Amino acid sequence: MRRGVVMHRGRPMPISDEVYFLCMLHNIGMTTPEKSLTIEEISRWTAVEPSKAEENLNKLLKAKYVDVRIISGIKKYFITSDGIRKVLSMYS
Amino acid sequence: MVDWADNPMNICMITWEYPPRIVGGIARHCEGLAKALVKIGHPVHVITLDFPGALQYEEVEGVKIHRTSVELGHPSFIAWVFIFNHFMEKKVAMLSKDVKFDIVHIHDWLVAFSGIATKHYLKIPLVLTLHSTEFGRAFSLNNPDSYLIDGIEWWATYESKRVIVTSNSMKHEVEEHFHLPQSKIDVIPNAIDASKYNVKVDREAVKRRYGIAPDDRVVLFVGRLVPQKGVEHLIKATSKIVSNHPNTRIVIVGDGWLKEHLWNLAVSSEYKHKILFLGFLSDQELIELTLSSDVLVVPSIYEPFGIVALEGMAAGVPVVASNVGGLAEIIEHDRTGVLVYAGDPNSIAWGVNRVLSDLNYARWLVENAKRKIREIYSWDAVAKRTVEVYEKSCVGV
Repeated sequence: MRRGVVMHRGRPMPISDEVYFLCMLHNIGMTTPEKSLTIEEISRWTAVEPSKAEENLNKLLKAKYVDVRIISGIKKYFITSDGIRKVLSMYS
Repeated sequence: MVDWADNPMNICMITWEYPPRIVGGIARHCEGLAKALVKIGHPVHVITLDFPGALQYEEVEGVKIHRTSVELGHPSFIAWVFIFNHFMEKKVAMLSKDVKFDIVHIHDWLVAFSGIATKHYLKIPLVLTLHSTEFGRAFSLNNPDSYLIDGIEWWATYESKRVIVTSNSMKHEVEEHFHLPQSKIDVIPNAIDASKYNVKVDREAVKRRYGIAPDDRVVLFVGRLVPQKGVEHLIKATSKIVSNHPNTRIVIVGDGWLKEHLWNLAVSSEYKHKILFLGFLSDQELIELTLSSDVLVVPSIYEPFGIVALEGMAAGVPVVASNVGGLAEIIEHDRTGVLVYAGDPNSIAWGVNRVLSDLNYARWLVENAKRKIREIYSWDAVAKRTVEVYEKSCVGV
């Protein structure tokens, strides 16, 4: 991974935007509910536009790699155990 | 010189994965080794990363497990690795006020920074187990991060007093790629706890749980869904397996960044209804499913060891594996399993069909495989050999 594209035997392998985004969420530390962040915070940390961040988060929520909690009406996102393992599989 | 036979060694083991944080084989390797070292009298402190639901500190079968929280982050993976190594290093420094460590043992490049720092400030020998290399995983070095990781791996081998690898093929790779002196490398295979498969399972109930008909044959894959594991070749072999054995399901356990690609490959084939993706399973679920399977396929393209093959052999499931790396050393073709050509769906299908077509042959493979597991791949044997490496490392320190 590491740049959104992995070369394998000389050919690029596909890595979806949302999986690359998931890696960034992991690396900035969103790995427990206590460390959950809002879309605006995620956007600042990852330098990804809020609309694009939201689009990726929705895909990751559907795949159950990310979960959400709502505090005072504000959505805060964090990575699930499966999401953490998904990320780690790229580097192990 | 200290006679270690009468003096327990305090071992500081640093690893980025340790159960329940299980990604690949490293977590299980560290767990098995740590427990076996404790069993023969050497205290082990494992320094690892935290995981949701896991305690910050716990003692399991005598192994003291210290989980490190990472309080800072950065989108870049490499930056994150530097950060978590800092927190691990801090954890070791705090611990070393109370524990006089004799050796630091690290697993793979990911914890090289904390291991090397520990070696220098505690003035103790560093031992590295290299489970794979960046060059081998990616089949080449093709971007700045890959070059950096390769450099860190080399650096870790240079700083280590001894380097342990799990197979002869890995030894050759390390010697050739890092120009490491042969005399600095020890080959110690992986092992498994075969007793966990001594359970009775209701195969039909297990199959029903995953929507598999009771009379369906199960061809199982377990591993990370990444290119080096060769899952796409198993998916491509499905048509040739199913045409010979119509009631067969290909069951894929695990996850990884290639999942979507593999899913699309399966969906676009005419046998998509025969391929099942189960994602991650718990240890217990995996044991039950393995015991309910008819063949375990390990279609890897690159595999320094291949602990999953041992799991199949211990569970009494015939193993069909690629003739590469450590797999070619674990499996004796036509005696303890079937070796097939890596990256070749026709060859994989041939191997699977051979096992599915002849029950007596399958039973014979299983009997031989179980015997080999008992004789060679026990954690007790691996722990004793690892202590010998520690003792060699301490000479002259």
